[in-house]
Amino acid sequence: MKHEVRRRLLYGGPHRPFYAVKRNSSLGKRRRRGGVKSRSFEKRGQHPGTRGRQAEARFATRLVRAPAMLKCGMGGSQVKVFGKAIQALSRVSDELWLDPSEKGLALRSVNSCRSAYGCVLFSPVFFQQYQWSTSVKMNDNDTISNLNCKLGMKSILPIFKCLNSLERNVESCKIFTRSDKCKVVIQFFCRHGIKRTHNVCFQESQPLQVIFEKSTCSNTLMIQPRVLAEAIVLFTSSQEEVTLAVTPFNVCIKSSNEESMDLTSSVHSEMFVGPDEFDFFQIGVDTEITFCFKELKGMLIFSEATHAPISIHFDFPGKPMALSIDDMLLEANFILATLADEPSRASSPQSLCLSQKRKRSDLIRSNSKAGKNVTSKALEHISRKAAPKRLCPNETLTDISALENCGSPPLKRVSGDVGEVPASSVRRAEEVLASPCLRKFSCMFFGAVSSDQHFSHPFDSLATASDSEEDVNYGSFSTF
Amino acid sequence: MKFRAKIVDAACLNHFTRVSNMIAKLAKTCTLRISPDKLNFILSDKLASGGVSMWCELEQENFFSEFQMEGISAANNEIYLELTSENLSRALKTAQNARALKIKLTNKHYPCLTVSIELLSVSSSSRIVTHDIPVKVIPRRLWKDLQEPTVPDSDVSIYLPVLKTMKSVVEKMKNISNHLIIEANLNGELNLKIETELVCVTTHFKDLGNPPLASENASQARNPEQMAEVHIDIRKLLQFLAGQQANPTKAVCNIVNNKIVHFDLLHEDVSLQYFIPALS
Repeated sequence: MKHEVRRRLLYGGPHRPFYAVKRNSSLGKRRRRGGVKSRSFEKRGQHPGTRGRQAEARFATRLVRAPAMLKCGMGGSQVKVFGKAIQALSRVSDELWLDPSEKGLALRSVNSCRSAYGCVLFSPVFFQQYQWSTSVKMNDNDTISNLNCKLGMKSILPIFKCLNSLERNVESCKIFTRSDKCKVVIQFFCRHGIKRTHNVCFQESQPLQVIFEKSTCSNTLMIQPRVLAEAIVLFTSSQEEVTLAVTPFNVCIKSSNEESMDLTSSVHSEMFVGPDEFDFFQIGVDTEITFCFKELKGMLIFSEATHAPISIHFDFPGKPMALSIDDMLLEANFILATLADEPSRASSPQSLCLSQKRKRSDLIRSNSKAGKNVTSKALEHISRKAAPKRLCPNETLTDISALENCGSPPLKRVSGDVGEVPASSVRRAEEVLASPCLRKFSCMFFGAVSSDQHFSHPFDSLATASDSEEDVNYGSFSTF
Repeated sequence: MKFRAKIVDAACLNHFTRVSNMIAKLAKTCTLRISPDKLNFILSDKLASGGVSMWCELEQENFFSEFQMEGISAANNEIYLELTSENLSRALKTAQNARALKIKLTNKHYPCLTVSIELLSVSSSSRIVTHDIPVKVIPRRLWKDLQEPTVPDSDVSIYLPVLKTMKSVVEKMKNISNHLIIEANLNGELNLKIETELVCVTTHFKDLGNPPLASENASQARNPEQMAEVHIDIRKLLQFLAGQQANPTKAVCNIVNNKIVHFDLLHEDVSLQYFIPALS
């Protein structure tokens, strides 16, 4: 130890303690989630001169780490697009994940009933400056973990509130994280030399991402947002659900009425759009899907900012649908659950889901045996009962507790620790859920975001023990 | 019972939309009376609206290029429908740049007024929007309550000031008290008064002019300076004023002392009559 210290003294000249720089003693209070261990500094608040270095040196063999960080900057016009993305995601849920990766900065949001998921991925080209890093922990086990940053929508939405005035006044914007304080700092450099700084605390939480293969959908439509916006005007804000009915000859967007609603009091509206209004029109199967209106509005808000056409990918009722915008600079995906009104049809996607889950759990078990720390890949499958009046039932929790009452364990998300979901219990859950008199929403495929690049195509490496032929199609998923 | 009508002219469509917006602001639920030459929007539910009644009349020829109707029977060639006025105005809102608008009475599980709009679109194909507005057919025996109200013999008849000004005055007065006194005389003076324990506020409108009186006797008998007044609920007056978006072609206020105030407006070719009774 002493040798190390002396070496440090010689390097860079005689020792001069930097008293001006006060080391924050709260560094030691780092959260311990996700298996990330923290350094404990001397709590005297001194700069680690000799003393600090000694303490550090003591732990040198165990903990040398750089925290995960994000640092990006954008110009005034990009702030508006960024703000619109946040506004659109606020329609999905109250929580927002900031997830930097080499593909760019992803903003993710999942609603509490898991029936809607939004992700906007800004490529590095979108920003004037983009730097990110994972936290690297040199340890017995190498762990690479991303910046797991979850923000409350209530904290971040007001910052990007008046986008028009932001567009006019803000010249540039910098966003960076301070992992030591669990804060995201957003700085607006405005005209007249005004600088506005917002510090938003974040929670460490692994974001979820949806695994959904857009190209396997039999129906794809691409339409200018203006047309959809005109359709939206038809419906009142009290309209919860909207039905999209397609045939090879036309597309109909209409208000969807629940059976329990008072039909004699509500207006039923529909709009027929001909195929030539779409930029791309491919209908493989005539179908009618019903989904939540709120999230569609959210997507439209965002599309106004990008002027790019919206692609809609969908299949049969029950299977999730995707609304996406693909631009050079960004990619937005909103995956929405659709109403499945026939229990028999709904059960088949469920079974697909569950078999994936089984495979996933196999993978997790086998990897843990191999000693690898699969911290972040997991599949979560929740299939819900739709309450008669609403798209989102009051609580997913009630469904889970119902499952518990039925004797099967709840399906849980695998977080930092390796979880095991026994295959048999999963199957039991499926049987419980497939009761015929309920209208169900299709499940969403979920996986936690992984920084572990080895597992980009997990299913390819599995030996197939599939129950149905369709499993083969799900061999390679694209993750959003 | 049958009803089919079509509007193709953009100006007529906008006018009809404005009328339905006005009705939506004045009454939540109203009755639509369809007769061979007229359309009426009627509010006559004394209990529900607190005594306020409304009669709006428009000549169908001025709006519709095609108009066909068949009433309940040959003798009673009229249709009375009850609907939520906001539904109609919202449906018409989507008809901003429509090529054509069709309204018809349909029965899809329950009676509906189907508004079908053909929208112009950039590409060659036109877009069709349909709204099914649920309505209730009012039976023959209830028709007697929905007839045109008789215009009472008023004590004073006066032209109203600019409605926007009147509305902003009444809006501010609403914060002070719910009880408003409206009074006018044959000298072209109209006053709006609020009286509370702490404060009295009066707004005077002068030089308004009075419409020519029907009978000579009444004009001689009455002192032109004498005010006729009615105590009304300010919220009802405010609701009436809020519904007027444009300044009417003609606006007359008739006051029956301590009984009722009657507003008679003419918006281009649509006549609107609104009755507010005195507070008991």
